Amino acid sequence: MNKRDIDLSIDFCGVTFKNPFLLSSSPVSNSAEMVARSFEAGWSGVVFKTLNSDTTPIIHPSPRMNGYGYGNKRLVGLQNVEMISDRPLKDNLMDFLYLKKKYPDHVLISSIMGFSNDEWAYLAKVSEDNGADMLELNFSCPHMSVEGAGHHVGKAFDLIEKFTATVKNCVSIPVIAKMTPNITDMNEPALYAKQGGADAISAINTVSGISQIDLDVMTPKPNIFGLSSVSGTSGPSIKPIGLRFISDMAKCEELSLPLSGIGGIETWVDALEYILLGASTIQVTTGIIHYGYGIVEDMIEGLTDFMVEKDVAKVQDLVGKALVNLKTTDKFDLKRQGRAQYDLEKCVGCGQCYTVCRDAGGFALDWDQEKRRPVLIEDKCLSCMICSFVCPVSDLISFTEMPGTWKRQDACVMDKELESRIKYQPFTTKTLL
Amino acid sequence: MSKRYDFSQALAEADRCLLCHDAPCSKGCPANTDPGKFIKKFKMQNIKGAIRTIKENNILGGACGILCPTSRLCEKECASALLDRPIQIGKIQEFLVRHGNDIGFKVFEKPEPVFEQVAIIGSGPAGLSCAAELARKGYKPTIFEKMDEPGGVLRYGVPSYRFSKEYLKTEMEDIIDLGVEFKCSHPIKEEGEAEELLNKGFAAVFIATGLWDAASILKEKPEGVYNSVEFLSSPHTGGLDKIKNQVKDKRVAVIGGGSVAMDCAGYAASLGASDVYLVYRRSFGQMPAELDERMESLENNIHFLILNQPKAYLTDDREKVSGIQLVRTELSPAQGSRRRSPMEVKDSEWVLDINLAVEAIGNKAFKDSNQLYPNVDIDTKKQIKASLDNCQTSKPGIFAGGDIVRGPSLVVNAVQDGKTAAMAINRYLQLGRGKNE
Repeated sequence: MNKRDIDLSIDFCGVTFKNPFLLSSSPVSNSAEMVARSFEAGWSGVVFKTLNSDTTPIIHPSPRMNGYGYGNKRLVGLQNVEMISDRPLKDNLMDFLYLKKKYPDHVLISSIMGFSNDEWAYLAKVSEDNGADMLELNFSCPHMSVEGAGHHVGKAFDLIEKFTATVKNCVSIPVIAKMTPNITDMNEPALYAKQGGADAISAINTVSGISQIDLDVMTPKPNIFGLSSVSGTSGPSIKPIGLRFISDMAKCEELSLPLSGIGGIETWVDALEYILLGASTIQVTTGIIHYGYGIVEDMIEGLTDFMVEKDVAKVQDLVGKALVNLKTTDKFDLKRQGRAQYDLEKCVGCGQCYTVCRDAGGFALDWDQEKRRPVLIEDKCLSCMICSFVCPVSDLISFTEMPGTWKRQDACVMDKELESRIKYQPFTTKTLL
Repeated sequence: MSKRYDFSQALAEADRCLLCHDAPCSKGCPANTDPGKFIKKFKMQNIKGAIRTIKENNILGGACGILCPTSRLCEKECASALLDRPIQIGKIQEFLVRHGNDIGFKVFEKPEPVFEQVAIIGSGPAGLSCAAELARKGYKPTIFEKMDEPGGVLRYGVPSYRFSKEYLKTEMEDIIDLGVEFKCSHPIKEEGEAEELLNKGFAAVFIATGLWDAASILKEKPEGVYNSVEFLSSPHTGGLDKIKNQVKDKRVAVIGGGSVAMDCAGYAASLGASDVYLVYRRSFGQMPAELDERMESLENNIHFLILNQPKAYLTDDREKVSGIQLVRTELSPAQGSRRRSPMEVKDSEWVLDINLAVEAIGNKAFKDSNQLYPNVDIDTKKQIKASLDNCQTSKPGIFAGGDIVRGPSLVVNAVQDGKTAAMAINRYLQLGRGKNE
């Protein structure tokens, strides 16, 4: 397969996207001026920042975000108390018209959030009337304190169905329902949305969280003049949560709706992971807040090269590909066991493997003080592989399967003479009776 | 010189650290600094703990972070070097100490002096480190310093662009806060005076006078020829204006190939010399200065005149230096591991026109230095004989360390000698009080 044979375009609810990469509804999609530049950079579509109908004044808290770093790594997470669009509805709609005029091949998705049934209907209608190709219903913004709005709806499943049905009744364009992750089971609200007529599900919105506290004033961040709030966490640190919910919904046969994956996507690898677990489009905000629109170039190039390498011509053929290998833990073959193996030629002698194996692993390493190298005691290795997570050298420590005859040592008992003093009977169902 | 780290840069560098199980860096410091420990503390956001780790071990941790040739000490065995390059331990250490000053963090609580007075002669790194250590143990140290201000080589021997006097001042504050008494402009100079201190209320004496007599290469020293001590100390001895005028837009020759010669050349360049020549009789690779110091000199547009041996100074009609006669050298044939020595090349004399020369070929003890301590054994170089294990001299109660014992050496070695001496003095005095160690 060659690069020219690769087709990144994808059908989502009957609308063709030239690639699966969209801006999500957020500060990165606040105006046509910004969105136009993102289209030039290569994004195939936008979920425009959630409209409001001018009836509820939107004033953003100041400051409204906090970057959450880990060590020297910036923006591993982002904390925000961002609201929906604070622009007049007319301005946003004019921007819709501009974008559709200037970029007819790009997909414009209008994100809306109403505070009443009528307002949902109104915003849906004006969006469609002004060129929106699709709608995304924001059932998940974690910062709206008004009952019947944002994530309050996302947790009141009957409202999801009701508002979705309302919107579906007054527009003919496809409707996506956006889910909050701040629940235990996303399939249930997604099914309510389907019941209301939703054509697709997008997930996840931000995870409710508190990422940092300013210790001097004992106030979480962002600190809005002395106060903070439980607010939305986004960025790479929440990707595992997003992937999990997408896979849950993708495996739910009753749901069977197209999915748009969101949460911690920065690279083509992140995007592909969402795709492999069932998303057919993906949406990005925090990655852009960190690096700008230009990251899409690397998403396009990276995914293309991967598809060439794997001989896959269409993105559609990758959607959900990993689901078949995703099962519950009781399905594992526990007879097959392995251990870590070390290529000590590459070792630099830092000994981090030794430290963590002793303190958190199977005590399977000795330390050769003279050579400053670890020595593996093979039959003590638990195959937890934590040594490989801390090793600074690529491919030094790898997993290898052992033959069925291989036996692992039991963890050592400090003093076997204490056996006579144990107060214990083996557990049976009758033990406690 | 390379830029100092800010918080993010220091953390980024610390982030590269592999936190070795048996940190080899922590075995590479003559003063027992434990980078493995303070970098881990820094990474674990235990920043005050990191600063405490540095300063409790080395009261001059900031100075050493800047001045140490870390590439051949702590950074030499760094495991990260096997991945790409060693962790810049010195720069992290310097940042942490500076950060501590910036946030007003005081590592030490003022100790209550309960023991004897101890006299310390010389306020260089050895004297300062000994005084701080003794104060922390409950002694009352008094430092006698002949110059107007304390610091020794840190003030008078290192140019400000490399180690600023403001930095020295903040680092000295910790020592002053520990209750160390400074008697500056107070030379110990009379015959036997150092030993007499034992009869004047001091229970022990630590001699840390350093080496301040500049070695000289040519007998004749016309006007315009300085030694490295005179040259580098000029900003603090009132001689700056005079030297500045002689250097600005002029041609300067610095004779020597060690760290001090690099400092002199850099200082001349910083004063605006039009050309600075480093004259060295051996090869570039044989220069005793650290490679990074030599590279810095190259970046500073210093001209390296290697394989050139000075023969004589030439003077103008006012008896002022106007040139230096040089002869080209070549190295003797390689013979096993013996250092190849320079041999003059016949008929290769030439004259380098200069306006000022600085001789930076090493310092030695003053000829009559031992008059102050006639009962203390010295060697042929007039350096004091003392064991590096306990700094004990041949006379009980008199201890010595730093360059006056070791010969020309590193700041960090002097710091260690100060600590060793403090421990030995404590042991000596505790035994004197009938206590077992």
